[in-house]
Amino acid sequence: MSNTETSAARPAGREQPFGKEGRAPAVEIDDVRKYFDGGVIKALNGLSLRVERGESVAVTGPSGCGKSTMLHLIAALDRPTSGIIRVGGVDLASQKDLPGYRRRHIGLVFQLHNLLPQLSAVQNIEVAMFGTGLSLRQRRDRARTLLADVDLADMEARPPTKLSGGERQRVAIARALANEPELLLADEPTGSLDERSVDLVLDLFARLRAERPGMTMIIVTHDVRVAGTADRIIWLRDGRVDYARRAAESA
Amino acid sequence: MSFAALILHNVTVRPVRLALTALAVAIGVLTVVSLGVVTHSLEVSDLALLKTGQADFTIAQKSVSDLLSSSIDASTLARIRAEPGIAGVTGVLIGTTRLNAANRQFLEIGIHPADLAAFGVSVVAGRPFAASATNEVMLGWRAAENLGLHVGDTIRIENETYRITGIYSTGQALGDTGAMLPLAWFQTYQRQPSQYTLLFVQITPGASVTAIQARIDRDFPQLVAIRTLQQFGRADRSLALILAADKGATVLAIIIGAIVVMSAMTMSFIERTREFGVLSAIGWTRRRVGVMIMSEALLIGLIGTAGGLALSLLAVLGVQELPSLAGVLQPVYTAGVFGRALYTAAAMVFLGGLAPATRAALSRPLEALRHE
Repeated sequence: MSNTETSAARPAGREQPFGKEGRAPAVEIDDVRKYFDGGVIKALNGLSLRVERGESVAVTGPSGCGKSTMLHLIAALDRPTSGIIRVGGVDLASQKDLPGYRRRHIGLVFQLHNLLPQLSAVQNIEVAMFGTGLSLRQRRDRARTLLADVDLADMEARPPTKLSGGERQRVAIARALANEPELLLADEPTGSLDERSVDLVLDLFARLRAERPGMTMIIVTHDVRVAGTADRIIWLRDGRVDYARRAAESA
Repeated sequence: MSFAALILHNVTVRPVRLALTALAVAIGVLTVVSLGVVTHSLEVSDLALLKTGQADFTIAQKSVSDLLSSSIDASTLARIRAEPGIAGVTGVLIGTTRLNAANRQFLEIGIHPADLAAFGVSVVAGRPFAASATNEVMLGWRAAENLGLHVGDTIRIENETYRITGIYSTGQALGDTGAMLPLAWFQTYQRQPSQYTLLFVQITPGASVTAIQARIDRDFPQLVAIRTLQQFGRADRSLALILAADKGATVLAIIIGAIVVMSAMTMSFIERTREFGVLSAIGWTRRRVGVMIMSEALLIGLIGTAGGLALSLLAVLGVQELPSLAGVLQPVYTAGVFGRALYTAAAMVFLGGLAPATRAALSRPLEALRHE
């Protein structure tokens, strides 16, 4: 995979450094609770976690342990009931422009690719760059480069309905990378894929880690093979960290 | 892909929904434009009738169903003629008759030949009819041209045969497509002796038209003095009703169109809830989502407006061909009518699209992403 920062225009309007807090951790979660239904459901119940810049972390655990909720809170798609989440040293509670935060700093990959069905593969990537200050041509060139990076250069005109599950997920990953995020959040990215597609996505993640050492990755997964590619594996249980291990220790 | 191209793509990718929503807008525009053109044409025809006589203002009976039903007697004319500030009053009796299939509302004006000059009539060929004649007529030059008739020819109007003594011009299309007959004969033939339809009033130099108008309105409560098209409705209730119906239809078109647009767009946006969640998750602002939706609604509105305008042109052509209106309705297309069509469509789209756009823009991304 080529480094898209050198092969295509970089999105404008980026705050540097990430959070302006020097070498602050990529993500710090401090005693975060997220309750639903007035506290009946305690999705997160005192979660504390620290993820370093450039680190790749796999988050796993039984269903309902709070994995996806944690990702949603980091992506500012939801707010915690209590506790503090800092991304790049900045408390998300103080972020006023949450869409801008997601656009500039976060790349999101969903279990179900969530591509827009009416758009082609390349257009799905382009829409992620609206509001970045890139010109029409720059957006198109960058989207094409990203598609080439995920080995789908010849499928740019295809709508999601004409792509396989693995191809859709790779387009979704390319879209997540469109704005050069410091933090890539993936929620069960292989959960709905066949074996061969899982291999392709894992290969893609491995290349991303090699070619973008500064990018932090947090991947929620049930798949031990996916978890095995991470620097660290974190097990959640009942809304808090049960235990964590370096991947090498797990092996 | 530009933002505009995305909007165009989003609208055209669902052709059936686009067609149905645009059709609702088109029907609204069709209603407004067709009624507007017909109403304005009637206004212009009525104004032309008033302008036929070169008067400072016109007097008619108040609140008649149709201006041609106005009836003013000779004694009233004499009283008005005696009013201070009045230089002259020309009384005319106006009727319409079916001449042939192409002239179903042929205009007949009974006038005394001595009043022709004051009425603004120029005899362009032949001579005026005699005041006491019973079988003489003058044709407007347009009528003569349309009918292929000349001075010396005869013409049969209703059950009478008339010799054409002259061809006249009034400078007004409506007046020039009719005929003028001796007033006394026409009053007798119409069984309205000593009656006039309209009085065309000329005031003395330096007198105030407004003041005299107001005085006549006050002293002759059964009459109305008309100088402008806006005052026309005081005399002609039919036109007033048509104008009111036209305004009512516009409001109804906006309300019904907005409901249909809102319904169609709400359905569409419910289906696309997850899409809005995705856009928000990848960094689109609420404003951008809202602008996209309103732009889509606007584009649908523009397509509907274009379709509605095309349909309304066809509808007006169809109305013109109706046997009862053949040769009567001369459609007048004005910028105002098209402007009204545009603001009607804009109102439908704005009112119809605002609620779904606001709902989509304000929806929480996580809830939208979970939408099935």
